[in-house]
Amino acid sequence: MKLLLLLISLGIGTTIAVMYSGIVNVAADEPHSDFVYWLLEETRENSIKKAAKNIEVPNLKNPEQLLTGGTDYEFMCASCHLAPGQTESDMSLGLYPAPPNLTIAAQSHEGHEHGDETQSDRKNFWVIKHGIKASGMPAWGKTHDDERIWAMVAFIKRLPTLTPEQYQVLTAVE
Amino acid sequence: MKTTLIKTISKIALVLIPTITLSMAATAHDPSMHVKKVKKADCSKMDHSKMDMNDPVTIAMMKKCMKQAKKANMEMDHSKMAKKMDHSKMDKKMEHSKMQKVDKIIKKKDEHDNH
Repeated sequence: MKLLLLLISLGIGTTIAVMYSGIVNVAADEPHSDFVYWLLEETRENSIKKAAKNIEVPNLKNPEQLLTGGTDYEFMCASCHLAPGQTESDMSLGLYPAPPNLTIAAQSHEGHEHGDETQSDRKNFWVIKHGIKASGMPAWGKTHDDERIWAMVAFIKRLPTLTPEQYQVLTAVE
Repeated sequence: MKTTLIKTISKIALVLIPTITLSMAATAHDPSMHVKKVKKADCSKMDHSKMDMNDPVTIAMMKKCMKQAKKANMEMDHSKMAKKMDHSKMDKKMEHSKMQKVDKIIKKKDEHDNH
């Protein structure tokens, strides 16, 4: 019992010391160690998977969704998640963790699993709607309804197959 | 002689290289590069022969381009333009006899001001 109390006190003491000493570098241009990165990524991915598992995916093959989602993507997402023909931007280089390049198919991404198509759609919807803490990803659900977010999901689904010319037409303002 | 020349060149390089590098970095982050420009759909590059007409992307592109073309036609509606340009009213306003009178008044006013 005494040992347990000692360990708890030591744990709390270490946490307080780390918090207030300022030794943790929070600069975005200094990457996490592999262990911390893995820890954070696993926590994030499992959290999203659990939160999104019961979301019902609607029909995402309506051309109107591509038009609405396309315009929104261009103005809200492309600066970080890029457009066809683009390999980097100020935001994609400067943000940490780096935002995923959505012009590349989920299956081609390095790192964590994306699951099947439905799981991927659910995940994209949840992330767009709720955002991700301390990552630079905003919660668009505060200003956009579900229909509009699903339109973005539909557009993102087709994004890796689009040429720069197709992207230009779909995302242009009417 | 050669060593002096090499020294001069290296001095110039020392000044020029950082200057050019810094000025290029400044250009790369010109604020105008961060402004999103609203562009119309460029439908001229659409190759209809290669398009799958059942693909939602193709249908969406066709819809966008048709809407844009319709809008452009509405803006260039000559029948409406002709109505707006009512020549009968224009003739009344452009009465040359009155215009000459106005010219004379301006001339007289100028002469008066000069005195």
